[in-house]
Amino acid sequence: MRPRILIVDDEPQIHRFLAPALTAAGYDPLRADDGASGLKGIAVWSPDAVVLDLGLPDMDGKAVLEQARAFYDGPIIILSARDREIEKIDSLDRGANDYVEKPFGVGELLARLRVALRQRQRFPGGETVIRAGGVEIDLERRLVRRDGEIVKVSPREYDLLSRLAQGHGKVLTHKELLVSVWGPAHVHDTQYLRVFIGQLRQKLETDPAHPKLILTEAGVGYRFYSP
Amino acid sequence: MPTEDRSHTEPGRPDPEALLAAANKAGRGRLKVFLGMAPGVGKTYEMLRAARRRKAEGVDVLIGVVETHGRRETESLLRGMDVLPRKPIEHRGRAYLEFDIDAALARKPKVLLVDEYAHSNAPGSRHPKRWQDVEELLAAGIDVWTTLNVQHLESLVDVVLRITGVQQRETVPDSALSRADDIELVDITPDELRERMAAGKVYVPETARLAADNFFKVENLTALRELALRRAAQTVDDQLVAAMREKGVEGPWAAGERILVLVSGDPMSNTLVRAGRRLSDMMMDAPWTVAHVERTDRAPPPARWSARLREALKLAEQLGGLTVALNGHDIVATVMAYARRNNVTQIVIGKTVERNWRERLGRSLAAALLREARGAAIHVVTEAVRDTTDVPAVKREPFAWDNWKAYLTGAGFVAIATLAAWGLDTAFDRVDLGMIFLAAVLAAGVLHGLRPALAAATVAFLVYNYFFLAPRYSFQIGAPTDFLTLFVFWAVALATGGLAGRVRDQARGSQRRAAAVSTLLAAARTLSGASAREPVARALAEQVAAAAGARAIVLLSRDGELEPAAGAPSLEPLQAAPMAAARWAWEKGEAAGAGTSTLPHTAWTFWPMQGARGRIGVAGVEAGAMASGSDEERLVLGLLDQGATALERAELAAEAVETESLRRADRFRSALLSSISHDLRTPLSTVLGASSTLLSYGKAMDPDTRDDLLVSIGEEAERLNRYVGNLLDMTRLEGGALRLRTDWIDVRDVLAAAAERVSRRLGGRALTRDFPTDLTLVQADASLLEQVVVNILENAIAYSPPGAAIEMAAYEDRGNVVISIEDEGRGIPPAELERVFDKFQRLEEPTDRTQGVGLGLSIAKGFIDAMGGRIAAASPIHDGKGTRMLISLPKAMPTHHNLL
Repeated sequence: MRPRILIVDDEPQIHRFLAPALTAAGYDPLRADDGASGLKGIAVWSPDAVVLDLGLPDMDGKAVLEQARAFYDGPIIILSARDREIEKIDSLDRGANDYVEKPFGVGELLARLRVALRQRQRFPGGETVIRAGGVEIDLERRLVRRDGEIVKVSPREYDLLSRLAQGHGKVLTHKELLVSVWGPAHVHDTQYLRVFIGQLRQKLETDPAHPKLILTEAGVGYRFYSP
Repeated sequence: MPTEDRSHTEPGRPDPEALLAAANKAGRGRLKVFLGMAPGVGKTYEMLRAARRRKAEGVDVLIGVVETHGRRETESLLRGMDVLPRKPIEHRGRAYLEFDIDAALARKPKVLLVDEYAHSNAPGSRHPKRWQDVEELLAAGIDVWTTLNVQHLESLVDVVLRITGVQQRETVPDSALSRADDIELVDITPDELRERMAAGKVYVPETARLAADNFFKVENLTALRELALRRAAQTVDDQLVAAMREKGVEGPWAAGERILVLVSGDPMSNTLVRAGRRLSDMMMDAPWTVAHVERTDRAPPPARWSARLREALKLAEQLGGLTVALNGHDIVATVMAYARRNNVTQIVIGKTVERNWRERLGRSLAAALLREARGAAIHVVTEAVRDTTDVPAVKREPFAWDNWKAYLTGAGFVAIATLAAWGLDTAFDRVDLGMIFLAAVLAAGVLHGLRPALAAATVAFLVYNYFFLAPRYSFQIGAPTDFLTLFVFWAVALATGGLAGRVRDQARGSQRRAAAVSTLLAAARTLSGASAREPVARALAEQVAAAAGARAIVLLSRDGELEPAAGAPSLEPLQAAPMAAARWAWEKGEAAGAGTSTLPHTAWTFWPMQGARGRIGVAGVEAGAMASGSDEERLVLGLLDQGATALERAELAAEAVETESLRRADRFRSALLSSISHDLRTPLSTVLGASSTLLSYGKAMDPDTRDDLLVSIGEEAERLNRYVGNLLDMTRLEGGALRLRTDWIDVRDVLAAAAERVSRRLGGRALTRDFPTDLTLVQADASLLEQVVVNILENAIAYSPPGAAIEMAAYEDRGNVVISIEDEGRGIPPAELERVFDKFQRLEEPTDRTQGVGLGLSIAKGFIDAMGGRIAAASPIHDGKGTRMLISLPKAMPTHHNLL
């Protein structure tokens, strides 16, 4: 069965090119033009994923996100303007899986959709090993290998890496990472993150100046490479 | 004080003053006066009837205030008319129902009826007099109808007093009647009026019944009737003359008569002013000027005199005369010089009783002027009733024991003279010892003035007589010539003492003037030292408070609203009443408050400050400490002039700054417009062209061409997107809406993310990275810094040929983290280096035409500045080519404890 994707956006032009693109890519597009009908659509159709625009005419997109999260745990991808980092972070903290900056190319959105749907397939699967590039993370034995050789990482580095890797390409905000690795008291200590990410890159990246494994989302957070 | 200069106009040309007056009238309401000879002639009745007629014609007529005095016929006329409710005013526990001028102004009818033009408002009203209310209503464009009895006219007060023996308290300046556009004479015969009075149809208050019987005598009424008729006729004449002047018609008014009225502040001053006005009336409204001579060699006249003088000058202005102050020590010479200069033909002077002795000596002012006046007529007005309560004209210094020292010194001189004379008398024979004593008198006179000199003369004579004149050692006078000695002594005392006194007064006067001048000079220095409005206002308030010896305040307008700006000794909020006076002074450009005719019951006096370009503000001084017309007041007014100039200069400076920033904003806007029209349209035309080509001919094209067109659409849309992003960033910077979200960031991270963003546009250029393994974190806004790097990279791509290298590096340098981005482009000419960060600055055409808008570097600089970093460009860097952009951000010191 084709995965059903609900698009919540008030711009008819967006529907106009997204619907054929999604159909062509093997999805089944559903349409909602405002926040209220979007929520209704999520409840009635229970789609496999939701693409949600933050700027809706009837209600704030973040409110839609919050209300939807009360009964829906599928992936939600946010559409947001480039210069609104705070909105992006806010949405991610409220349970969005990912965001795409407007204006966007269809290719970018489809890539994010694929990642999000894959997360859903895996979640809450009890996977034991995550592989990305030449790096292998053994979650059961808390081991990290690069090209088959064990890399020595400190317990905090391991915690951070495993947390990132389990996101499978999902953007994790600074806050999320700091709280889960260092604890709620360190929610503002982003310098810890910078230092540890730098160390992890030195140990795992082929070229630390060209990170491929741990990617920076400026001002928002990090995401782990997902093939 | 206004000085006159009414120039004669060339024949046949409209008089500019008349045209000005006509222009001033435009937009003003029309004034109609129902003029009567006495109460009871039916003015109010006539006015109401006329009002009813107008209302029937559909005109918006409002009754502001009408006194019916309980007369039924009059009251019946009020039925069906709009009547404005009166406003209660409290004064000393009594409530007065007064005309509500604010309600009338708010209602703004076409025609407003305001009865009794000469009425005095209850204390606490805005204006003391109703005619002033009417003036404001007219200025607001409302037609006003009012009533007036001829006896209330200011210039006729003396005449009415002579005719009827009744002193009028409620008066209206003649100018208030001349202002009338229409005068309707309400006339009945004196007999009729007396009949009406007998029938009880004339309202007379119970308390004034006796006086009224006196007043309403047939001969009085006849005289008053004549006055009313004459005044009505004269106003018609005036209007005719004014109309002729306005149209430039030659006429009989330019009779060349010019009247000069001399006043001194003596009790006759007001009478003289009124006489001047009447003389002017008789001479076809000849220009008349009231002058007073300020004696430069004399101490200022007593306060009561200067108060009366001010009153007289004010009256002159009210009656339509000009006022001028003349300076000189010789009254006759000063006056005649002025008269000749201004072609004065008539001089009006007064004669008071106590000057009689001077007159007998042929030294009266009238006599002196008569001798000097060539071609001018002298009118001498005599005093009617002697005002016994008044001070004598000669200023007496009170005898003060505190100058006993002067008398003691005089006695000392006499003692020294006695010793000297005794010595000389024993040593030589036949010495004229009188000379020695005369010297003592002379010394006392020169040093201590008149009275000590006279005392010394008397003592000297007594001593001289006792010791040296035969018979010696007795006060007996031996020879009649000895009396001569006494008189000579006194004469010398009078002459030297008087002279010395005058010299001293003069010295005191010039000291006072010197003090005032130095105060003004000091103020000028202080005021010119301050450059902003607030410090100037503060300095001015302090200077004024010091000069006046009272609290002072300076109010300036802020967004059209008058606000207290500075006060001395401290700025305290004004109460409602002084604030109202201040606003009045501000709006009307006239002094208001205590000592003026507007809101005189306020505890403050306010003066408008007039600059060259208009009103600047208002300054106020708490009343009480400073007498009006005093030297202090003159000094304060001088200070206010300087203050106005300084404030104006401060305002101009502020405006210049504002203009400059406006000019820059304007330049930015026009650059923005031209940029938008070019940079938005170019990609749009590609998108439109490519998509329409595809729609029309897509089917006939081979897949490669089609793809190429589609790719170009995508690329151009992206270019457009970048441009819009730049504009948004610029707007955030310009609009001050930039909010930094600083955080600990790893510069390498940001560089990598930026490189990622431009990777698809590199077009064969190699982007290399040179990062150290360890790099200190910096505090910055990650997304803004990323945008900065992206902008610089895009610029590097745009200005370097395909295949060239672009090198990104990051390193630490003395407390900073430095980002360096080098390209192999043509570089920037040294002269342009400074300007590359300017908005819309684009150096020639970029090599890659799809890149660059001219905003990128400007935004980069704006963002870096906001983050507390620095950005600079260096070029050329090698072989006369290439540009290096350096960004340096201050290093942050992260704490490493508790990390592991």
